[in-house]
Amino acid sequence: MTSSTIERPAPVKNRASKQRSARTGAGSAPLFGLPAAAVVALLLYLPFLWTTYVSFTDYDGLASPVWSGLANYKAMFSDPDLIGALVNTLLWVVGMVTLPVVLGLLIAVLTYGHRWGTWLRLPFLLPYAISGVAVGVIWGFVLQPDGALGQALGYFGLPGAHTGWLQAGPGNTLMMVVAVTWQAAGVNALLFVIGLQSIPAEPLEAARLDGADGFRLFLHHLWPQLRPITTVVIGLSIVGSLKTFDVVWVMTQGGPGTSSETLALSMYKETFVLNDYGQGAAIALFLSLVTFAASILYLRYQLSDGDSR
Amino acid sequence: MNKTSSGPVRTAILVVLGLIWLAPVYLLIVNASKAVDGYDAASVWKPSGFSLFANFGDAWEKAALGDTLVATTLYSVVAPVLAVLIGAAAGYAIVVLRLRRGFLWFVFIFGGTIFPLQMILMPLFSGFADSGLYDTRVGMIIVYTAISVPFSAFVMRNFFTGIARSVFEAAIVDGGGMFRIFRSIYLPMAGSALAAIFILQATFVWNDLLLGLTLSQSESVRPIMPALTGLQSTYGGAALPTVLAGGLLVSLPTVVLFLAAQRFFSRGLALGQF
Repeated sequence: MTSSTIERPAPVKNRASKQRSARTGAGSAPLFGLPAAAVVALLLYLPFLWTTYVSFTDYDGLASPVWSGLANYKAMFSDPDLIGALVNTLLWVVGMVTLPVVLGLLIAVLTYGHRWGTWLRLPFLLPYAISGVAVGVIWGFVLQPDGALGQALGYFGLPGAHTGWLQAGPGNTLMMVVAVTWQAAGVNALLFVIGLQSIPAEPLEAARLDGADGFRLFLHHLWPQLRPITTVVIGLSIVGSLKTFDVVWVMTQGGPGTSSETLALSMYKETFVLNDYGQGAAIALFLSLVTFAASILYLRYQLSDGDSR
Repeated sequence: MNKTSSGPVRTAILVVLGLIWLAPVYLLIVNASKAVDGYDAASVWKPSGFSLFANFGDAWEKAALGDTLVATTLYSVVAPVLAVLIGAAAGYAIVVLRLRRGFLWFVFIFGGTIFPLQMILMPLFSGFADSGLYDTRVGMIIVYTAISVPFSAFVMRNFFTGIARSVFEAAIVDGGGMFRIFRSIYLPMAGSALAAIFILQATFVWNDLLLGLTLSQSESVRPIMPALTGLQSTYGGAALPTVLAGGLLVSLPTVVLFLAAQRFFSRGLALGQF
C-alpha cells in the first residue's frame, strides 16, 4: 500500500479533476467498502457481541438478562449431558481430521496424473454437492437396523449384520463420522490435487529416474511439499467438525437420549428448546474460541499466500 | 506424470473405492423408485418397479415443496448475487482504489466468517423477531447475503490483486469515474471468479438447514432443507420411499449445477484456499 507513492510521475494534466482521481481514487474508496463492512458489522459482529454478553448471564429470552458470571461455563463442565456432548464433539474432531483427510490424500495421489483422473475422482466429489440433510437421510436409511449395511454384511457372511448402528454411543457418533467422510473426502482430495499441481514436475522426474517409486517417492518427495495444503485441509476439517449439526439433527437428533449430541446441537437445544439462552450462548462462545484457535492454524497460510493467484 | 503411474493396481483401487462411494447413491435411487405399497425393507439392494415420479409427487405434496421451492430458489439466486456484488465492491475498494488502511478493512470483513453460525443464531432470532423480519423472505435474503459477503470479499480481493495496475491507470486516463470503471471494466474481467463464488454460495444457501430452522416457520418462507427434515419426522420409517424421493429431489439442483460447472467449483476452491 505504501508503494503507491512511488509510481506517480504526476504528469502535467490540464484538468484538475482527472488528477485528483488519478491520485488513488481514495476519495470514493470507502463508499465501495462500506456496504460489505456494514452488513458484516450489523449481522455478524453485533450478534457476536450480544451472544458473548448473554453467555455470562441468566437469560430466558423474555425477562432481562441477569449477570451470572461464569455459571454457564461451569455448568458446561459439570452437567453430564453437556460433558457427553463435549466428548462427542471431540470424537468428531478426531474422526474428521483422520478419516476424510487420509482418504482424500489417498484419492488425490492415486488420481493425480492418472489418464482418467478427473473421471475417477467424480464419484468422490458427487456427495459434496449434496446437503448435510440429504446425507443424513441417505445414511440414516443405509444404517437402519437390518438395513442396507446389515444386509450387505449378511450377504458376505461378515459379522455385525444385526448391529443397531445408531442405537448407542459412541458407536452412533462414529458411524455418523463415516457418513460425513463419504461427503467430505472428495473435496479434500480436490484440495490435495490443487496442492499437487503446485509441485514442480522436474525434481519428481529426477527422483523417479533415481529409482524412487510408489511409496518412497510419495514419502520423501511429495509429502513434504504438501505440508501447506495439509495444514489447510486439517484446519478446515477441525473447523467443520466443531460445527457438526445437520447430519446429527437428521440422523439421531442427538439421541438416543443425548448419546450422540454434539455441542452445536446442545447449543440449539439449550437456546431454542429449553429457552436457556445464557447456556446456549456459553456453548456458542466456547465453540467459537476453539474454532478461532484452529483457524489461526490455516489462516496464516491463506492470508500470506493471498496474492499468489 | 507418465503412463506407468496409471498402472492397473492404481486403477483397480480407485474403481473399487469409487463403487463403494456410489453405493449409497445407488441405494437412494433404487429405493426412492420403489412403490410405497409393498415396500420390502429386507431387500433394499434389489431394484423393483419404478414409482419414482409418484413418490416425487407424494414428497412434493406432503412437504409442501412447491412453496418452499420458490422461496429457496429466490434465496439461492438473490443472496449470492448481492453478496458477490458487495464483496466485489469491497475488493475493488481495497485493492484497486487503495482504500486507506485497506488491510484492516479486509481483516474486519473476512473476520466475519471465522466464528461458527451458532454464535449469531440467538441474537438474529431475537433481533428478527423484534424488527418484524422473522419468518419473512426479505429477512432470509438479508441473512444469507450477510453470511456470504466475507468469502466473496476474500476471493475478489485475491482476484483483483492479480490484475495489473496499468489497467486502472489507463481507465483513469480515459476519463472513467470510479463507479464506471468498477462496473464496466473490473466486474466483466472478474467473470469467472464471480461465477465461482456465486456457485459455491448458491449451493451453500440451497443446502442450509440451521438458519432456515431458526429464522422461519411458515411454508412459504421456510427453505427446502428444514422442509425435508419435517417430511422425515412426519413419516418416520413408515414411507421410506417417499422420504428418499424427497432427499433425491432436493439434491438434484445442486448436483446438476455441480456437474455442469465442476470447473467453477474447483476454481472457487482454489481461489478460496490460496
